[in-house]
Amino acid sequence: MSAQSILSVRGVSRSFRGLKAVNEVSFEVPRGSICSLIGPNGAGKSTFFNLVTGYFAPDSGTITFEGRDITGFSPVQVAHLGVARAFQIAKPFPGMSVTENVRIGALFGRAGPRDVDAVTTQALELAGLAALHDREARELTVGQLRRLEVARALAARPSLLLADEPCAGLNPTETAEMVTILRRIRDAGATIVLVEHDMPAVMQISDTVLVLEAGSLIAQGKPEEIARDPRVIAAYLGTDE
Amino acid sequence: MKLFVSGRPAWVSIGLTLAGTALFALLPLWLSPYGVRVGQLFVLAAGLAVAWTVLGGFSGYWSFGNAAFVGTGAFTAALLQLALPGWPAGSAFALALVVAMLFNGLLALAIAWPILRLRGIYFAIAMLGVSQVCFELVSNIDALRGALGVNLIDIVPKGVRPERFYYWALLLATLIVVLVAIMVRHSKLGYGLLAIREDEDTARMLGVPTTRYKMIAFVISAMLTAMMGVIYAHNLGYITANSVYRGDFNLNVIVYSLLGGMGTIIGPIVGAGIMTYVTQVLLGDLLDTHMFITGLLIAVLVLAAPNGLYGIYDNHRLRMRRRKQEAQR
Repeated sequence: MSAQSILSVRGVSRSFRGLKAVNEVSFEVPRGSICSLIGPNGAGKSTFFNLVTGYFAPDSGTITFEGRDITGFSPVQVAHLGVARAFQIAKPFPGMSVTENVRIGALFGRAGPRDVDAVTTQALELAGLAALHDREARELTVGQLRRLEVARALAARPSLLLADEPCAGLNPTETAEMVTILRRIRDAGATIVLVEHDMPAVMQISDTVLVLEAGSLIAQGKPEEIARDPRVIAAYLGTDE
Repeated sequence: MKLFVSGRPAWVSIGLTLAGTALFALLPLWLSPYGVRVGQLFVLAAGLAVAWTVLGGFSGYWSFGNAAFVGTGAFTAALLQLALPGWPAGSAFALALVVAMLFNGLLALAIAWPILRLRGIYFAIAMLGVSQVCFELVSNIDALRGALGVNLIDIVPKGVRPERFYYWALLLATLIVVLVAIMVRHSKLGYGLLAIREDEDTARMLGVPTTRYKMIAFVISAMLTAMMGVIYAHNLGYITANSVYRGDFNLNVIVYSLLGGMGTIIGPIVGAGIMTYVTQVLLGDLLDTHMFITGLLIAVLVLAAPNGLYGIYDNHRLRMRRRKQEAQR
């Protein structure tokens, strides 16, 4: 493991009833970068997130976070170490206000008890939700909910944020906002791993792109390299007849 | 360590609670003895309902069996006093109260591990079972005297009318219950419980220690319920299993929250007030039909206002704000 990588995955596999969802995948995520995981549906991207956050244990291989072997850790343990996850299907607490939602993230994250209010405010501002702070979560639009999901994850003060399709279902304006927000989070010092289908967004924002197909890593590199890679074009973007 | 996560609302609630209690403490000076007895019923109902809310309202784990803690609290106190004859009334009462609360806390802790894994309706049914089992045990084991009955020590000071004394005693206990509920609600524990109610899996993902929090809330709820139960038992003076393991306790505490507003602290208090007023005062003379009318009233209210009176207020508040925002645009 190199000193600059925050997350390093080595030879990780996981099968479900004989189907290899993730197969011998190895890569490093450099600290302070935005790394996108792309691939067709069923390529193993969500399974990979579930492995890192401890929802599933890998069948083989190791996952190292900040130099510590976290293979087989429970979701709570992983969360306490500083890995947060924002879901594709936003799961806010609908009966609570925007602020309360984010405050829960701060309370049970890594902020000290005296910093909870400051961290909450900061996360709301970073996600562009300051003006909506007293709305109930059930009043928000899809785009606002997605930002709330990110803000709540962020309030836990993670050093690694796993964002599951933060731009899915957003209109171009909302997508542009989300890209800005993700950049701001990276600039504030966090590392981001993204699963995303929105290619323009991926190309704009990523430092590294990893391509999964049928559970295997078939390419990795800078966005412009990936866009030119013939295997990726064939596997993911499709061939022109 | 900060006492409250959200300081201002917590202190406002505490202030309102103290002011409200002071007001209620003065009522017996004007009310007739019958009025004071109705007041006792209200205060007891409110205390039990808020004690239920600490787990049921905040975390969404509805217990259908809180009578287990009323009854077990009452019998712990009664049997302890029976075992220690000749103690002065004050210390016999104080010791019985403390032991009953501790015993029920331990009981809750012991049953929490298996049954708090159950979610939603399964937890509710399991708690109904617990209260039934406690009732049967106390009824059928001769040493526990549930069938025969037990007397409790008379703790009313000379010169104070008993109905007033118990009104004030229940009021003080309810005040403690409400203050504890406010402290829980505005602490980190309370936020965790609300997160569990909203979405337990997401709460766990965010790092809320869900199992531990549910257990703590359950133990607090059981201890507060037992405290109410001990004072209620002294008020009765002579208890049997039937008079303290009352099925209507199980149900009513939930009805009060449904009526006033589930998950809030003011909701069950208002609900208890309305139900006591309706059943004891409005329908007090209609002995044949009052249960029928009460049932009908609950059905209508739950259909018309599924989130209780607080829900009506809350929707109104949201609508007003939306209107204001649109006007600004």
